[in-house]
Amino acid sequence: MSRLDMLNSNFADKMPFGEVKISTEALKKKLHANEHGVTRTNLLALHALKEALQSGSLSNEELESSDTALIGASTVGGMCLADEMYKDANLNLGGSEYLSSYDFAAPTLYLQKRFKINGVVNTINTACSSSANAIMYGARLLNQGLAKRAIVGGVDSLSKFTINGFNSLQILSNQICKPFDENRKGLNLGEGAAFLILEKEEDCVGKKIYAELSGYCNSNDAFHPSSLSEQGDGPYFSMLGAIQSSGITLKDIDFINAHGTGTENNDTVEIAAMLRLFVNDVPDFASTKSNTGHTLGAAGAIEAVYSILNLNHQEVYAGLNFNTPIVSNGLSPVKAYEQKEIRHVLSNSFGFGGNCSSLIFSRV
Amino acid sequence: MRLYIHDISSVSPQADFSEQLNASVENKLKVIETSYEGIPANALRRMGKAVKMSVGSALPLLKKADPLSGIIIGTANGGMEDCIKFMNQIIQFDEGLLTPANFVQSTPNGIAAQLGLSQKNNGYNITHVHRGLSFENAAIDAMMLLSEFPNNTYLLGAADEISTYNYNVDYLDGWYKKENVSNKELYNVDSPASIAGEGAVMLLVSADKKNALAEIKAIQTLHSEDVDYVMQELKTFLAKHLNGEMPEILITGENGDNRFLKFYESAENLMAEKTGVLRFKHMTGEYPTAASQAVSFACKVLQTNTFPQHSIKKKPAQSSFKTILIYNNYKGLQHSFMLVSNRFEN
Repeated sequence: MSRLDMLNSNFADKMPFGEVKISTEALKKKLHANEHGVTRTNLLALHALKEALQSGSLSNEELESSDTALIGASTVGGMCLADEMYKDANLNLGGSEYLSSYDFAAPTLYLQKRFKINGVVNTINTACSSSANAIMYGARLLNQGLAKRAIVGGVDSLSKFTINGFNSLQILSNQICKPFDENRKGLNLGEGAAFLILEKEEDCVGKKIYAELSGYCNSNDAFHPSSLSEQGDGPYFSMLGAIQSSGITLKDIDFINAHGTGTENNDTVEIAAMLRLFVNDVPDFASTKSNTGHTLGAAGAIEAVYSILNLNHQEVYAGLNFNTPIVSNGLSPVKAYEQKEIRHVLSNSFGFGGNCSSLIFSRV
Repeated sequence: MRLYIHDISSVSPQADFSEQLNASVENKLKVIETSYEGIPANALRRMGKAVKMSVGSALPLLKKADPLSGIIIGTANGGMEDCIKFMNQIIQFDEGLLTPANFVQSTPNGIAAQLGLSQKNNGYNITHVHRGLSFENAAIDAMMLLSEFPNNTYLLGAADEISTYNYNVDYLDGWYKKENVSNKELYNVDSPASIAGEGAVMLLVSADKKNALAEIKAIQTLHSEDVDYVMQELKTFLAKHLNGEMPEILITGENGDNRFLKFYESAENLMAEKTGVLRFKHMTGEYPTAASQAVSFACKVLQTNTFPQHSIKKKPAQSSFKTILIYNNYKGLQHSFMLVSNRFEN
């Protein structure tokens, strides 16, 4: 978490950001991405997808097969280029090279074209839970036989659009965020991308399996466009639904990768929903957003990766910067790195519009 | 997988798919806005056009319907006007003190969110934003849900608005005609690009065929710029879902863009002699979720066995219809085939 170095904004040194410390030009070179109109968002997505393909050992033949799906998610798309978009949208010049790159689908379509992906291709936007829904959608495509393998994930890059948007809502913290702390001041924005490759168990014979996606649920809070209800209906139903769909019990959840943005509203409501569901036995929980900032449309996928790391290494990560429990509930997140047995991790993602989604990852 | 349409409501530039054809103005076909009865005035003021169109067309359906199990929306851009209004403020006020209204309204999931909020619906709620296949992907999602939960009822919808700014971006990118072309002459001009449109279509869908208006029997989506490949896939699609028979009507997304006419003509050539060809984009204009209007049009044709004269490219041999194929493509890259039928199988 640091000042902004790669994006020109008045906020650059006013608050911390989770910025990927490589310039857009350097990313282009590194990834051999010289296409017309390629944006930072496309490049972050490409970087993550390449890593996923490498560790998943997917062949070109498999990639180009009509039963390979690609499900992306983004809330910023090419709007990272605020100044260019402003000029294009107001006909200030003859048109930049980015005219086809601004929309939410642009990063997915860029990857589709680059890797000639030929199955179901889709982009989802449920605000800050977008990529959790992309993961869920990919799993459902497999279950319904509409794909044999699904590449799922999300991407967002830092943008004047989101920085000013969240600032206008007065929910950005000028210090590194303190999820679940009584004295938390708001969230920090971050950027990044993550992709996962999903296949059915019977198609994974002889392949490295990182984890099982064993449950998922999407539920709407139906309360307010930009804040969650006090009793946390959406978070409660999405966590409950995910556990029910996985066939495990409440006691089987060993760790919750919380949404934990560090805003007044989210953290209070998320804990209220945990207490409502788990009553006296709330599992260990923490938010990784004090490490990365809130990566918006990428957060669900990035935190899916952290959940899988929890399982693979049988360890949990501390919620950084935490000092004082929220007075009204007294619960504390995990305060220090710890090795312990982790069988099932519940990962939460909640977004504007009441879009709540929970995923369960299990040890294999 | 089964998806039966039980009710439809839409907002479009035309009153209905009737003989009367409203004219475009400066290459834009804007919707006829309704009085939005049932939406409180203070809520209405805060809604962008895409949300207004969607809520306005969904409310009449929801009044009659049983409680929904969830809401599935396709929109390429959601509240684009608000989005760029906010962007303009950022630049014009040099990242100064801004009000959040436009930012909150700019998120594309605002349509599904607003509908969820108005119905106090805690169910599945999602927004598909895959440009020209946003509606089709939403419909595939609904089909999967109805296979997973066969007793449920969902609201499936699509909406996109013409915003000044988005029009400008697409205009600069060569998607709208440089010369002034009326929608009444859309298919008679030999030039690239199309005219802009907007609209919202809302469908109540379930897995129950009883009293259904029509069924979306099958959907396939493709990303390709190769006409031969697309036609090969279309042949396979028809063979798989119609056992070698041909639909009585083909509705195409022909949009006056001479660069992509070959896709539509090739699809027409694949059909049987008896298959009629209808067009709809002179009624709706071109926009990313326009294919949802084609589904609405297909349902009307199946229900009434009629269609307006101005929609006919080739007259069908029969006078009553059971199966309609919709072939649409967006910007020559994103293709969809949809089979709409009212011949329900057991």
